[in-house]
Amino acid sequence: MRKDTGQTHGKKTLTFEKGDLIIKQGDYGISIYKILSGKVKIFRTYNGAEVPLATLERGSIIGEMAFLNKDKDVRSASARALEDSELEVWHPRDLVEKYAQTSVVLKIIIDQALSRLLRINRFMDQLAVKKRGGKRPPEGKEDPWSSTREFYRKKVDIVCQYKPALGVKGSSPPLTGRIKDISMGGLCLEVVPKNESATTHDVGDTFHIDTVLPNGQDLNVTAEIVSVTKRPGGVRFGMKFKELPDYYGTKKTLGFFLMPT
Amino acid sequence: MHPALHSYIVEETTYSDSDVIIEEGSKGSWIYVILQGAAKVKKRTAKGMITIDTLREGEVFGEMVFLEGGKSPRSASIIAAEGKVKVGLLDTQKLIDDYEAVPSELRTLIGSLMFKLRNTTSKVCSIIVAK
Repeated sequence: MRKDTGQTHGKKTLTFEKGDLIIKQGDYGISIYKILSGKVKIFRTYNGAEVPLATLERGSIIGEMAFLNKDKDVRSASARALEDSELEVWHPRDLVEKYAQTSVVLKIIIDQALSRLLRINRFMDQLAVKKRGGKRPPEGKEDPWSSTREFYRKKVDIVCQYKPALGVKGSSPPLTGRIKDISMGGLCLEVVPKNESATTHDVGDTFHIDTVLPNGQDLNVTAEIVSVTKRPGGVRFGMKFKELPDYYGTKKTLGFFLMPT
Repeated sequence: MHPALHSYIVEETTYSDSDVIIEEGSKGSWIYVILQGAAKVKKRTAKGMITIDTLREGEVFGEMVFLEGGKSPRSASIIAAEGKVKVGLLDTQKLIDDYEAVPSELRTLIGSLMFKLRNTTSKVCSIIVAK
């Protein structure tokens, strides 16, 4: 399990035990890691098999690809500690601005190099599968972050508008509620009891919810009520997202909003 | 091709099919862009030359050495393909000025990207050869 062992100038030193996952492919994040000691394996997961890309040691940087990616895409590969390792981690928020100021031509060159590397990495997936029929990931040590990620909910208090997904024709105006917490999987919606007279709010009912996140991004989701809690002054609904349509960039928007800072 | 690249072109050269534009292992840190046609990225292996990529109009090449600090040899050969290829040489001085304006922490990240590109390219080659 990772441990915090110190912090200076926004840089933290984290200790990972052999087998710990440091970065997971598909996650959002632009934090940068530098290996201070130990060994880290970089790999991709393709069709359930691990495709090794590199083994990095002291002095190597991990995570710069997501930072340099202008599409702000997800992590393109995973990183796992091959032995007990110490890594320095920092959030490059100051560098975002500086990178934006970098010459356009230099950025074009870097973008192209990055696309080339991502293309070669995907090619490695194909090669690995053809060559060995793939290798199963090692059993036993599960990703220690997956559970926290899955249940990670950010406490918020934001106003939203919502209405039944299967609206009656000529539908009524949207209702107002407050989102009390939100995760990649769902949210908690608090409404005043009188809203319940406008439409049913039962487990299984589906609503369209519109809001603006504190970072200024619009969020439009469809969610189903899975639990109801009556509280003084309001009713809280545990809601599960039906789907996060990626073509609206919803996953990215939410992923970045939920990213630990 | 991105218009910003045009203002950096200081020289244009046309190569015939199969001409060597950059030779693997040679010295040099110039960066080029393909203006017309295509070129193959090839590496020497125990089983002969293998093609690892094809570059087309608007694609820049030769950037690895420059962005790593200019010391390493060329990691691959660039060979003119599919007939004539017109290539533009980018202004080295402008690129140096641009690069020197980049804060050192950012340069480290860019250098790391180049390191990975170089390593992964070699690894792909060794996997192909081992097959």
